[in-house]
Amino acid sequence: MNLYELLRGPLLWLSFGVFLGGMVVRLALFVATSRKKDKPIYRFWSWKWLWLSIVHWIVPVNVTAKKNPIVTIVGFLFHICLLVTPLFLLAHGVLWYESWEISWWSLSEKVADYMTLVAIGCGLFFLVRRMVAPHVRVITTAADYVLLAVTLAPFVTGYLAYHQYFDYYTVMILHMIFGELMLVVIPFTKLSHFLMFFVSRAVTGMEFGRRDAPSW
Amino acid sequence: MAEKAAEFNPEVFKKTSDEKMSARLKMWLEMCAHCGLCADTCHYYLANERDPKMMPAYKAKKVLDAIKKKGKIDEATLNSLYETVYGECTMCRRCTMFCPFGIDVASIISMARGLCVSQGKVPENLVKVIENYFAHGNQMALTQEDWIETLKWMEEELQEELPGATIPIDKKGANLLYTVNAREPKFYPMDIAHAVRVFHIAGEDWTMSSKGWDDTNLAMFAGDLKSAAYVSQLVRDAAEELEVKRVAITE
Repeated sequence: MNLYELLRGPLLWLSFGVFLGGMVVRLALFVATSRKKDKPIYRFWSWKWLWLSIVHWIVPVNVTAKKNPIVTIVGFLFHICLLVTPLFLLAHGVLWYESWEISWWSLSEKVADYMTLVAIGCGLFFLVRRMVAPHVRVITTAADYVLLAVTLAPFVTGYLAYHQYFDYYTVMILHMIFGELMLVVIPFTKLSHFLMFFVSRAVTGMEFGRRDAPSW
Repeated sequence: MAEKAAEFNPEVFKKTSDEKMSARLKMWLEMCAHCGLCADTCHYYLANERDPKMMPAYKAKKVLDAIKKKGKIDEATLNSLYETVYGECTMCRRCTMFCPFGIDVASIISMARGLCVSQGKVPENLVKVIENYFAHGNQMALTQEDWIETLKWMEEELQEELPGATIPIDKKGANLLYTVNAREPKFYPMDIAHAVRVFHIAGEDWTMSSKGWDDTNLAMFAGDLKSAAYVSQLVRDAAEELEVKRVAITE
């Protein structure tokens, strides 16, 4: 088994396992602890406020979108490209088909290429903002830079691989390593907001909502 | 009452933070993406010439950094934490409204105030007020005699203007128990008379209580939840003893 096969096989399984398993464990731990220590969540449970809170932030209909439109636009573009590009990339779709004979709709290669550039561009915007804006710099830790790098690395290497800049095999190996690394770190870092965003929005939405106050 | 350690006690600090670390607090402390969008939602940040150290996420991070040390923090760190959580946040929750994740910084600050309480670090006046609740059942240390006398006095004054107006005390089974801020009988008794006027003219079935009548809870502001529970219980006990349907609290 060469490095490519290792990354394409066992390590991919492992990284998906850690990613999905890690998220399930995080959710389970939250439920277990909250049953004992966060009783107001369950006492004031409200599906209405839960969904309203999530929906107002998953689409930019909220106070922050009005107050900080630029960060909001860049943030949304960043997240859309981050999620959509890898899921609907033609090359990824081919891999899924080869392994499982399943397929779904994919982006045209040109659009995917632009979306990759947009993701990288937005990431660079956040990098510069983090270094320049005093109120962002003051709360920045080394982990913030590392995680931004881990998030952008699969896109940079993916772009290089598609255009076959540098040595294709090496770039592709790096692309796979970074992609799997990103999946693995999600449950253990602030990237866990992939899932915890929904949990946090739900509990805060209900906490505000029980006082008839919108949290958006 | 809050147990006050004579000096900095790392074990108590760690034990208290473990006890207070709920699922929500842990999630919020860990998930903050450090995006900085909370900065200009905070009146401390805006009123201090946009001092980055006044932004909500920075204050929350300070709490997290202190907890991460598992009690191994020095006196200077504790003092700085104390200044932040008491002096630089009113727990208004405005930043929460603007936070994309809805992180409740106020809860984090409240928890950290509790950590300070565990180290005997509480503003002096607040300590005194909390003691008053335990000794007298209200924050102003009014005796029951003073309280009843104030009510009788207001009743008399009011009857000149509204004949037949009364202030029922300990009336069982009333619809409404009206509670006040202890500053009212102490400094502004006319505020009580204003409410009585409304109740009288509305024909409300109401009462006041000879005990458990102070609805303020300054122990809560100290993040001293044990004392806060005791203070709330005073009003609850009064309501249950009088078998009222509702408790109304003063403006």
